[in-house]
Amino acid sequence: MLKVKGLKKSYGNKVAVNDISFEVDRGEIFALLGPNGAGKTTTLKCIVGLRKKDSGKVEIDGKYAYLPEKKELYRYFTVKKMVEITDYYTEEFNKDKAYKLLSDFQIDLKEKIANLSHGMVTQVYLALLLSQNADIYILDEPTWGLDPVMRNRIIEKIRGLSYEGKAVLYTSHILAEVEKVADRVAIMSEGHILEMDYLDVIKEKYVAVTVRKGEKVNGYKWKETENEEVYIVKREDAGSEYEHVGFDVIFEAIVRRDRK
Amino acid sequence: MWFSIDFNSHVPVYKQIKEKIKSMIVTGKLKKGAFVPSIRSLAKDLGVNLNTVSRAYRELVLEGILKVVRGEGYVVEGLDAERFLGKKLEEFRKMVLTLKGDGIEYEKLEGILREVYGGEENAES
Repeated sequence: MLKVKGLKKSYGNKVAVNDISFEVDRGEIFALLGPNGAGKTTTLKCIVGLRKKDSGKVEIDGKYAYLPEKKELYRYFTVKKMVEITDYYTEEFNKDKAYKLLSDFQIDLKEKIANLSHGMVTQVYLALLLSQNADIYILDEPTWGLDPVMRNRIIEKIRGLSYEGKAVLYTSHILAEVEKVADRVAIMSEGHILEMDYLDVIKEKYVAVTVRKGEKVNGYKWKETENEEVYIVKREDAGSEYEHVGFDVIFEAIVRRDRK
Repeated sequence: MWFSIDFNSHVPVYKQIKEKIKSMIVTGKLKKGAFVPSIRSLAKDLGVNLNTVSRAYRELVLEGILKVVRGEGYVVEGLDAERFLGKKLEEFRKMVLTLKGDGIEYEKLEGILREVYGGEENAES
């Protein structure tokens, strides 16, 4: 559905995305993870053509819908007017679906966008986007600023897209949320993809081992205690004594490596 | 069908689903020949992705625990209870080793076993 190969993008001297490749299949939810400035947003922007890539290939098989990182709508329009105008300008837009979603989200159609909270603007944006028929949904931080209950509802909607055979590429800062909804993840840092696999496979792949300070270990250093160091290593490199760890620890250790 | 999934556990979600279904078969909640929910419906009930349930079912089929009935779904084929329980006993054994390492005396453990099993005997009589 989506193929990205050798994508590179620099802003001046700063390399934002450094030769990354990945694919997203039909019915699959793919999450791009990483700290701020890892290159996630730039990657999405290059895919949809809002930024001109320096090199690499992007192939999208079908239509896409894109939710930008900054969810800005016309401040002086009412919600209803926003729906009407989106309907006018968007191909394959389902107005009834948009109204239904907005009513689910309990958003007042007569309210001006300017009077909505940040989270509510995100909800309006999502309602518009989810009512657009596409083959792949590219979502930059779709749950940013939402409360936990609303976040879960959005997660359900995103999962619903995959049930219909749509592909989803999305970014999020909230690991607990990613663990709930992503099939596959790519962990990015400083423009590189450091790890990419099925979430369940990553959980099985890594364990934690504790070694004496300074001992050489093939893995990602996670933390130091007074006399010891804790590494996240592949299970086959771990020997007999190891601890199981959650995805958050694995993520932190992998991302940390690049920051040393 | 519903059971709780721990998304933040180090145990992969597909594995949690497999284990749960196996224990439902061992305890007789799922009988041989019975249909398990479709991939879509279980995914929806549990709030997990289709791919996750699909992987769990696929592996259960490979292990001979579920069988695909073409066009109808998945049925319980059976479970080598001895093997399943053997694994559980192996986990128990590991736990006992840990406790032994922690310096717990044999009599203490025996006391617990007697308490647990004794209670059951009393209830039956």
